[in-house]
Amino acid sequence: MSRPLVAAALGAALAIGADVPLSRQAATFPPLSQLPSTPFAVQDASLASAGLRAGAADIAWIQLLEYAGHGLPELPEAGGPVSPSLQKLTMRVVSLDPRFHRAYLYGASILGWEPGVNRPEQAAEVLQECLVRDPGEKLCPLYLAALTFQKKGDPERMLGVLESTLDDPRAPLMMRPLLANIYKKRGDYRKSLALWEIILDDEREQNDHPRAVKQITELKVLFKP
Amino acid sequence: MNTVKAVFDYTFREHVRHKVWLSAALFGLILIAGGLVASALAQDERARMLLDLGLAANEAIAMISVVFLTVHLILQEVESRAIFLILTHPVRRWHYLLGRFLGTLAAVGLGLAAMGLFHWLILFALGWTGEGSYLLAWSCSLGKTAVMGALALLLSLALTSEAAAMAFSVFFWILGHFSSEMNYIAEKSGSSFMRAAILAFSRAAPDFAHLNYRDAAAAGLPGHRWMAAALLYVVGYCAACLALSVQIFEQKEF
Repeated sequence: MSRPLVAAALGAALAIGADVPLSRQAATFPPLSQLPSTPFAVQDASLASAGLRAGAADIAWIQLLEYAGHGLPELPEAGGPVSPSLQKLTMRVVSLDPRFHRAYLYGASILGWEPGVNRPEQAAEVLQECLVRDPGEKLCPLYLAALTFQKKGDPERMLGVLESTLDDPRAPLMMRPLLANIYKKRGDYRKSLALWEIILDDEREQNDHPRAVKQITELKVLFKP
Repeated sequence: MNTVKAVFDYTFREHVRHKVWLSAALFGLILIAGGLVASALAQDERARMLLDLGLAANEAIAMISVVFLTVHLILQEVESRAIFLILTHPVRRWHYLLGRFLGTLAAVGLGLAAMGLFHWLILFALGWTGEGSYLLAWSCSLGKTAVMGALALLLSLALTSEAAAMAFSVFFWILGHFSSEMNYIAEKSGSSFMRAAILAFSRAAPDFAHLNYRDAAAAGLPGHRWMAAALLYVVGYCAACLALSVQIFEQKEF
């Protein structure tokens, strides 16, 4: 056997030897066959097979935001009021990248508390998925607890749990307007006003500033301390 | 080893002067800057998207550069007959191949470092305090680039056609990221022969999923054992490909 072939065999043995501990400690991703069936399957599969799984999840995240905002032309029910594909699109993001913390929280928040959507069972399914696939995410069990309180008809405790998460940087920004709306609906104008004022002061929430100005004007009329 | 260094020096200088390499590095910088615009769509996840886009762009540009440069590396010198001139000097063939490979890797690594630094500065300016280690993600990209370079060199010598070598390199790049799916297909395969064949083929191809730290950065920093195993994997795979390339190259008659 020539010397290059011996060297090749040694190199291969080294690579195979290293392969064993690497395979044992490999980060596990759900197989592509487990991706929810969406019109974006080819896009997801081609990006993931080129080693761009996180990038594919980022694109899926933008599409989820678009869908939640004003619908997607690829989905037949685009622009509908109840967003029937919201859970599927959320699951798509987290199947591509199971540690996309904010996707679980964002999807569950809309499904659970966005007015007009009202699908707490689907929100709970998303959060259960978070507990399994992203066990380090501390907000998922809290959101799940809030959903449970909501289901049991205990809105005070639900609001208490959700409010305790607001200062966490991982909480989705849309949680503040959602809570402010819930408070307003319950007639708690003081808390609603306080939240809209925080939104107006936060540079990250610039998209909601026009809405905050309008709500603050309206709430100042309703709330007389 | 002086001959290896001499070949390394001239290969490195040749690549750095090469317009294709410069264009690729420039294109990488433009892609990263473009990520700044695209990431604005991601709202709360802007930093994450900029990180992912930048790392992916770095790696893709490095992969294209290393495949393109390595495939041309020897075949062009054979075609232009410049190799006769080199091999008439007291240069051993494996010294020549090693110097050429390391010089190419150093040039591509330099481009990768420039793109990485630019990307990191943008992230730093945006106040990125993400999970995981940027340096480790960058090092894993360099590791993948090294493996891809060694494999492309082997393919170029074995196939003696630039187009075929490039096509097979891209094929192995994709297959390298498909290892979990290959295992899944093998598991689902009814025939034990098919299962063995799929697994053997999958093991022979590089497993880039091992080095895909940038996709798993949110899981936190891996331990030192993992890092040592990843380094050994890269060194072992490159050594095996280079040794096979030497075997083929030494049998060639010029």
